[in-house]
Amino acid sequence: MIQLKDVSYVRLGSPDLEQAEQFATACLGLQIAERGKADLYLRSDDRSHTLCYSEGNPKDQTVGFEVDDEASLQNAAATLEALGHGVHAGTAEEADRRKVKAFIGFRDPSGNHIELVVRPERSGRRYFASRDAGITGFSHVGLNSTDPARDERFWTQICNARVSDRIGDIPLMRVNAIHHTIALVRAPQAGIQHINHQVESSDDVLRSYHFLNERRVPIVFGPGRHPTSGARFLYFKGPDGMIFEYSVGVDEIEDEATHRPRQFGFEPTSFCMWGSKPAGMTLPNK
Amino acid sequence: MIAVLNGTKPLITSVCYVRYAVKEPQACARFVSEIFGLQQVASQDGEVAFRSDDRFRTVSLSRDQADGASIGIEAWDDAALQEIGERLRAQGFAVRPASPDECQQRYVQSALLADDASGNRIDLVTRPTRSGRRYFPPRDAGIVQFQGVGLRSIDHARDLAFWRLLGAEVADWVGDIAYLRIDHLHHRIALYPSQRPGLLYAAFEVEALDQIMQNSYYMQENQVKIVQGPGRQPASQQIFLHVEGPDGLILSYVTGTAEAGGRPRPPRQFPPTASSLCNWGSESKGVSELGAQS
Repeated sequence: MIQLKDVSYVRLGSPDLEQAEQFATACLGLQIAERGKADLYLRSDDRSHTLCYSEGNPKDQTVGFEVDDEASLQNAAATLEALGHGVHAGTAEEADRRKVKAFIGFRDPSGNHIELVVRPERSGRRYFASRDAGITGFSHVGLNSTDPARDERFWTQICNARVSDRIGDIPLMRVNAIHHTIALVRAPQAGIQHINHQVESSDDVLRSYHFLNERRVPIVFGPGRHPTSGARFLYFKGPDGMIFEYSVGVDEIEDEATHRPRQFGFEPTSFCMWGSKPAGMTLPNK
Repeated sequence: MIAVLNGTKPLITSVCYVRYAVKEPQACARFVSEIFGLQQVASQDGEVAFRSDDRFRTVSLSRDQADGASIGIEAWDDAALQEIGERLRAQGFAVRPASPDECQQRYVQSALLADDASGNRIDLVTRPTRSGRRYFPPRDAGIVQFQGVGLRSIDHARDLAFWRLLGAEVADWVGDIAYLRIDHLHHRIALYPSQRPGLLYAAFEVEALDQIMQNSYYMQENQVKIVQGPGRQPASQQIFLHVEGPDGLILSYVTGTAEAGGRPRPPRQFPPTASSLCNWGSESKGVSELGAQS
């Protein structure tokens, strides 16, 4: 079994790094860690980076998850190969670009590009945001799935993810105490469905709602509150159509052994208990 | 704290009702009950009355433009009422005792009917009637109780003097907007400089942010005008949503109002800017008193 510790970073291809930088700093509120030749590294917490834009095709999207150590990485590679997932062993240069000690890459059953990493770098300096959005850290991703039931089996049986709750056939899965680190959403093709950053308080969610609205950033869902995790949220659209989420107050699962996933119906109130309706997201919109 | 305590008892203890004079009581009544979520109670003498908590009624609507509008302020007892009457008269405010009929109409035991300097009618009342039955609203808006009022003021120095005679204190200023404290909460009454007198809004406390937001989406779905919010007042931390019904009737949902601390402090001055009125960034739509320019 592969033991995921936490989500580590997202890498996104972008044809226009300048636009990506503009959005990430002026709207999203991340801190520029470093501008490489073809890479833009962005921070959201005490890690040296949690989001990296690379010059290239916006369809190139990768999520990195941290595993314990190099031995775990070797075991993971063996496990995945045995299951028929082609495993790419990261070169030293590629690892450098990701600011990790070592990594492997593979595709999940839907075709999402996943990397498992060892010893991702932290920064000695604290995170200092480019705008006061109240971001406290990168927290989870939504992944497209062409077959959520199959992919749930992959993530839970191979990668030690546990289902916290389900909305219809969408599993919200945890790899640590936080309610969910991976959410699978049914979609016709692979891809990252959304990227979440936690903020300090519901004030920040509401403030950002007014802030982003004023700057004509498309709000696609919220402000709202998820009845599953309890989080107050706001989803909005960034460059290349990528959806970003701010949220606050995600529950933690207190008792790992006895937690039983709850089943919510696939309907708007299961996604928002305040009554906001998703617009331009692949969720029910009755 | 409250400087003019009558011994250990304050002169006034609560804002206990609002009476509106409206042109279309029926349309307003539908808005107040079905949309906003107050419980309609039996009407009498052409008045439509509503409950919001364990009081017998906190809102009434009537067509009577001459005597239908006022704000009820609960005084501690008849001695406090007498003291208030003397103080107001001494400062030249119009005050007269309410007739038994007027008391009955207001569901109170005794009352002094006063006018502030702007001409707002303020009823100083004792023993407003409570109900033995619990509040049961027509829809789950999450209303906990009638919370307070915003008043328009055309003579803010004299109006402020009026409230100070009753023992109210300024908790904070935003420009010349005064938040007035009469009990443990940051404020129950807010005076907004304006071109005309009148009740600006009546505010109802809801359980939590969840209900503010649920009501916000409910209003959008029902095409009710949101004049401001969801927002948060920096001075009081109060989260608010102001909505407008027929006849320009503004009702508000509020939650999270700060409690006054144990130690007295002078009122803080905030500049008359949008961010002093809402630190989330909501702006007033069409109600100048709620905006920064007024």
